[in-house]
Amino acid sequence: MGSAAAPLIRVRSVSKTFRAGRALVPALEDLSIEVQPGEFVSLVGPSGCGKTSLMMIIGGLIEADRGEVTIHGEQVKGPFTNLGIAFQSPELLDWRTSLQNILLQIEMRDLPVREYRAGALRLLSEVGLEGFADKYPYELSGGMRQRVALCRALVHDPEILLLDEPFGALDALTRDQMNYDLQRIWLEKRKTAILVTHSIEEAVWMSDRVLVMTPRPAKVAADIAIDLPRPRDLEIKTSPTFNEYTGRIRRIFGDLGVFRMGEARRGG
Amino acid sequence: MAADSARPSGDGTSRAVAWVAPTVATLACLLVWEAAVRWFGVPIYLLPAPSGIVYKMFADYRIFYVQAIPTLSAILIGFGMAVAIGVPIATFMVYSPLFRHSVEALLITAQVLPKVALAPLFIVWFGFGLLPKVLMTFLIAFFPVVIDSVIGLASVRPESLMLVRSMGASRWKAFWKIRLPYALPSMFGGFKVAITFAVVGTLVAEFVGSDSGLGYVLVVARGDLDTLTVFAAIGWLVVIGFFFYYAVELLEKFVLRNRGRSRAHELGAGL
Ligand SMILES: Nc1ncnc2c1ncn2[C@@H]1O[C@H](COP(=O)(O)OP(=O)(O)OP(=O)(O)O)[C@@H](O)[C@H]1O
Ligand SMILES: [Mg+2]
Repeated sequence: MGSAAAPLIRVRSVSKTFRAGRALVPALEDLSIEVQPGEFVSLVGPSGCGKTSLMMIIGGLIEADRGEVTIHGEQVKGPFTNLGIAFQSPELLDWRTSLQNILLQIEMRDLPVREYRAGALRLLSEVGLEGFADKYPYELSGGMRQRVALCRALVHDPEILLLDEPFGALDALTRDQMNYDLQRIWLEKRKTAILVTHSIEEAVWMSDRVLVMTPRPAKVAADIAIDLPRPRDLEIKTSPTFNEYTGRIRRIFGDLGVFRMGEARRGG
Repeated sequence: MAADSARPSGDGTSRAVAWVAPTVATLACLLVWEAAVRWFGVPIYLLPAPSGIVYKMFADYRIFYVQAIPTLSAILIGFGMAVAIGVPIATFMVYSPLFRHSVEALLITAQVLPKVALAPLFIVWFGFGLLPKVLMTFLIAFFPVVIDSVIGLASVRPESLMLVRSMGASRWKAFWKIRLPYALPSMFGGFKVAITFAVVGTLVAEFVGSDSGLGYVLVVARGDLDTLTVFAAIGWLVVIGFFFYYAVELLEKFVLRNRGRSRAHELGAGL
């Protein structure tokens, strides 16, 4: 990634505190990140640290208390729409089939639905859901629903992808497959993508850069450029370089006190 | 057909059971009633037998038919108004907290107010025609429509709304395509309660003062100690109640035909 290029997404000293009844929950504090055009960045961090909140703020869906987000140098105020977003839960509408759920993206934008139909069907088959176009969400497994949601985030060919643990409900095998498929789609279109994931392996395998987040309130603890050639295959996961990256991230989490291993240590 | 009736319905019982069980139960009750009346020789002015009531319902159908028309009109118009006014009010309540807080107390007051006590006043104000009946019906049917619509419209997942906002959808579109469809199951729940209330509302108005309708027939027959006619009128009111209830349910089935069974429902059915 040319470091000379201006960043596409720029998050500057963003803070966000939620109010839960009487208590104040600081989710983000003075957090800054930059994402270059066409870059694939992953966020890894402990559960509840503020990753989802950050994604929402980048998309202009919730407002930061302090700081600002700019995309293309313009401050994000209100929903940014040149965007494909996959939430942590699939958010499919019960009364629409897979295909209709994907095409909601097109309908809401007043784009010609008919022209996007073929593209939507192709996306479905690319994520292994050929023949499921006319199924309703209740007929799909949890993992299938998440894949439909991913298609919905891609169908309108947005400039930016925000993916909040889109593969959270998938088994390890399907997950590998989905990583593979997503990489292929991404290599084809070179979207700027931010992926939130709990899996360190997934983060390293998918990304140009992994941002390791601290426990709440989230800050960037480490910014690790992943220098592995693309297209990456699954073999690469057994390579020493790959494992060096994952090991490094685990150690950072260890230093942050994210793992509670006291019992096991004492026992051993 | 056989395969169809064996297919499980929403709560896991087969369709055959869903039809046969209530029919058998109802018939059993009627049979006990019939037998008791005949066995003990209960005089007809105290309690007529079901067979006699059904016979009367059809023998005097001309009277009932004529008198059913104002009753049916009042129920339909009153219920229609409750929906036509209740749903928009519920929508405003969901979108504007200020409006919601303003009208909430008023709504509850209107609901706990004994409306039967108002019925005589309605006659003073509006006379004997259709109007006081429609108003009473509307007043009684209004509350469940508003409450269940508010619950439904407020139940939309915030993530779903965020999703369509990221698609650049207008509020209007988000309402039609997301919020309203989300609310429909709950709204239909309210409509079903409301339609049964509507039947009661019309009857109350006809009881208190009116010169037409099945309620009026009831009051006159009671005055004549014509218990058989009283029961026949009640019989037709039951038929009307069932008819409207199932009409709303049929409409619900049609509108929600694509929803399928949600998995939560499946899991919760046994609890
Ligand atoms: N709307 C809200 N109201 C109150 N508190 C909130 C709200 N949204 C998030 N929080 C709190 O902010 C913190 C960060 O939440 P967030 O969803 O961003 O975490 P996360 O990093 O995405 O976690 P996970 O990995 O488990 O999804 C949590 O402690 C959460 O309880
Ligand atoms: Mg999250």
